[in-house]
Amino acid sequence: MKVLLVDDEEKFVSRLAERLEIRGFEADWTTTSDGALSKAENEEYDIAVLDVKMPRLSGIDLKKGLEKLVPKMKFIFVSGHGSEEDYDIGIREGAFYLTKPFKIETLVERIKEALNL
Amino acid sequence: MEKEIGRICAEGFSFFGMTNRLISHEVKNILAIISETSGLMNELLELSEKSMPLEPDRLRSLSESMIEDVQRANQIIRNMNTFAHSVDDFIREVDIRKTVCLMMDVCRLDSALRKTELNLADGDDCAIYTSPLFLENLLFHVINFCLRHPGPEKKIRILLDSNESRTRISLTGLASHIAGAFPTKKETLLAEALSAEIILDADKGRLHAEFPERIEGSPIQNLLPID
Repeated sequence: MKVLLVDDEEKFVSRLAERLEIRGFEADWTTTSDGALSKAENEEYDIAVLDVKMPRLSGIDLKKGLEKLVPKMKFIFVSGHGSEEDYDIGIREGAFYLTKPFKIETLVERIKEALNL
Repeated sequence: MEKEIGRICAEGFSFFGMTNRLISHEVKNILAIISETSGLMNELLELSEKSMPLEPDRLRSLSESMIEDVQRANQIIRNMNTFAHSVDDFIREVDIRKTVCLMMDVCRLDSALRKTELNLADGDDCAIYTSPLFLENLLFHVINFCLRHPGPEKKIRILLDSNESRTRISLTGLASHIAGAFPTKKETLLAEALSAEIILDADKGRLHAEFPERIEGSPIQNLLPID
């Protein structure tokens, strides 16, 4: 399973990727939306974990860009906001939504659920 | 007059709420980093108990990184505490340099604004007699506007200059010929409440905010807490 992680906090996203790799996932990460689009052009990811609030392009807009490149890709949104509005956006976009900080087991469960594993 | 006071107070509440949202969001981000770092350290230890060799330098680096993150969170909480004390007195003597520094930090909580460098030039400390909350509110919008409209070098520099009657805060390094009016109604309302003046010199890419040594004739002087 190939997972793409996108968050502007490098420490967060790189360590999360390493922990997912320990659990058997192929995890790739980037801190920018441009980087995410560029990676998706060259690799076929099964699922992307996107920070809702990022510079330049929001997670919601990035999802739209990634969907054009990889129509089958699934999505999970993460955010430090934890507002009902963010949660509603996640649901409306047909994606899971997690509030930071979260347990990695919860993320793994959501990934498996999204990919019907 | 009552309508004006109502609008100013509503703006103050809105600013207070927004700042709290920015702070809580950032603290949650840092908690998430600490959570991932400690989780990773734990997993590296577990793997070492099985077969994978443990690299002491890696653990040391992760541990040092956690200390940095705790310090980053602590600074944000300290700023939050300073900000919370802004409403202790509606009007009092305010240190301009400290207030500018605080609002620079608050603006940088928005990750979208971190790509532009922001510096405050060295200089003497200066104080004015004004409303700390509404001064912070106005400075937040001024700094925010400048960070959103930087020149090609993406460096905004703040300079303080004061004499006996007024204090001037100048922000340079803005893009020239900025589209969109500034100050908007919101900043104009705040500037009037603080007896201040905002001047955008779009051709030269700079903005000045000028404050009197003491506010006079402002409706916010009538705002008094309930005893």
